Amino acid sequence: MMDHQEYQELLALHALDALDAPERRALNEHLATCSQCQLELIELRDAAGLLAHATTPAAPGDEVRARILDQARAEARRNQPAAEPSAPVVAFPSRAAASRWPDLVRLAAALAFVALLLGLVVFWRRDVQSRRQVVRLTEVINEQSDQSLHDFEELARLREAVELLNSPTMKRMELAGTQTAKNARATFVYDRRNGRAMLITQGLPMTPPDMAYEVWFIPKGHSPMPGKMFTVDAFGRGVMADHVPPEARENAVIAITLEPKRGSASPTGAIYLSSPAS
Amino acid sequence: MQAKPSEISDNDLLRAISRGDERALAAIYDRYRLILFGLILRILHDRQEAEDVLQEAFLQVWRRAADFDESRGRAFTWLVTIARSRALDRLRALGSRAKLAEEVGHSPREEAGDAAEDALKSEQGTIVRQALAELPEEQRRTLFLAYFEGLTQTEIAARLGDPLGTVKTRMRSGLMKLRELLSNQSRGL
Repeated sequence: MMDHQEYQELLALHALDALDAPERRALNEHLATCSQCQLELIELRDAAGLLAHATTPAAPGDEVRARILDQARAEARRNQPAAEPSAPVVAFPSRAAASRWPDLVRLAAALAFVALLLGLVVFWRRDVQSRRQVVRLTEVINEQSDQSLHDFEELARLREAVELLNSPTMKRMELAGTQTAKNARATFVYDRRNGRAMLITQGLPMTPPDMAYEVWFIPKGHSPMPGKMFTVDAFGRGVMADHVPPEARENAVIAITLEPKRGSASPTGAIYLSSPAS
Repeated sequence: MQAKPSEISDNDLLRAISRGDERALAAIYDRYRLILFGLILRILHDRQEAEDVLQEAFLQVWRRAADFDESRGRAFTWLVTIARSRALDRLRALGSRAKLAEEVGHSPREEAGDAAEDALKSEQGTIVRQALAELPEEQRRTLFLAYFEGLTQTEIAARLGDPLGTVKTRMRSGLMKLRELLSNQSRGL
């Protein structure tokens, strides 16, 4: 076990992404709880970023600018976030919605979305009433969308969640916190037919600046397959949609690790949550 | 955006981008294309690949500007991190780090155009190059291997044939010194 000073000495190497996996893992765990080291890492990353000035500036072709702006415009028209690996925890309005809706309305919608989702889960756990409640909630959502809220992507996600919870081929798994995060819990539900999935976490530690949680599907006898990245709010809550690969829809273990924000191809960080071995 | 693009801070530009403002994306591209393209080219040594990665990087800026958090570092660092990560990912995907290093015996300096020459004279670049020039050669080399080739401490030790502890100390001292020099010399960086 290293002490604070030893961790501090690793910060410069971390700012250059030059640590080997075990040290990086240990440092990230320390960073999650040490604001002093977090601040120093920010400064060192800023210093490392300046190394870019050591290169000779060079001009890209003129057509690159046009290509970027054309594609950005096309994506804005489609009005949906691009297929980046990271999924925000609590859904925020899309760009087009953001420009049209005042902050308070957006906040209220985001809160309502979280409340509805959490409500959904509670209802769904009460097996007997769940279907009826889900149907009622669906009606509420439909009413809301009639009231011109239809361009909130939250509603689309909520609809997907309702469909998923209603699916006859839905499977649910409980994930328990490991030694690293004893208070963490999560519920993972997915549709065995099409792999559509949703993860709801509680009690996970906040992630350090450059880190995020990554989902792993570990089919029996296979290496872990990466799922999406996500972060959590101040209470360790996260809600995220993902897709389970066909190989992992039966007899797979689901685990959550802490990884560099842009994602890892195989797990490098500590395990925070895991489903029981099947 | 009411002010001229050149008067708007990086943070404000990123905020505008997160609201879907294309002019802000164009402005941040114009502001940083030379330095970021220089960085990507230095990593990849191939203009076409580098232009492709530059495009990917700015599209990532477009999609993810809302993730930028000014309390967690400077906008410039955020932009450079995206460009460098994308370039190193591409380098690894190309799987020919050693081959590229062998092929490229020349510095890309000759490729810089007029605009690049102007940027070369920029105050920021001058300050950083001065700071780097003050570092001992071996410290500079380890920093460059990590930053531009994406090597880990162990890989650098193997590459240079130096003990791991020495490499760690050099990298750490190099970066700390750079931080110190920069904070002494600059306000505008």
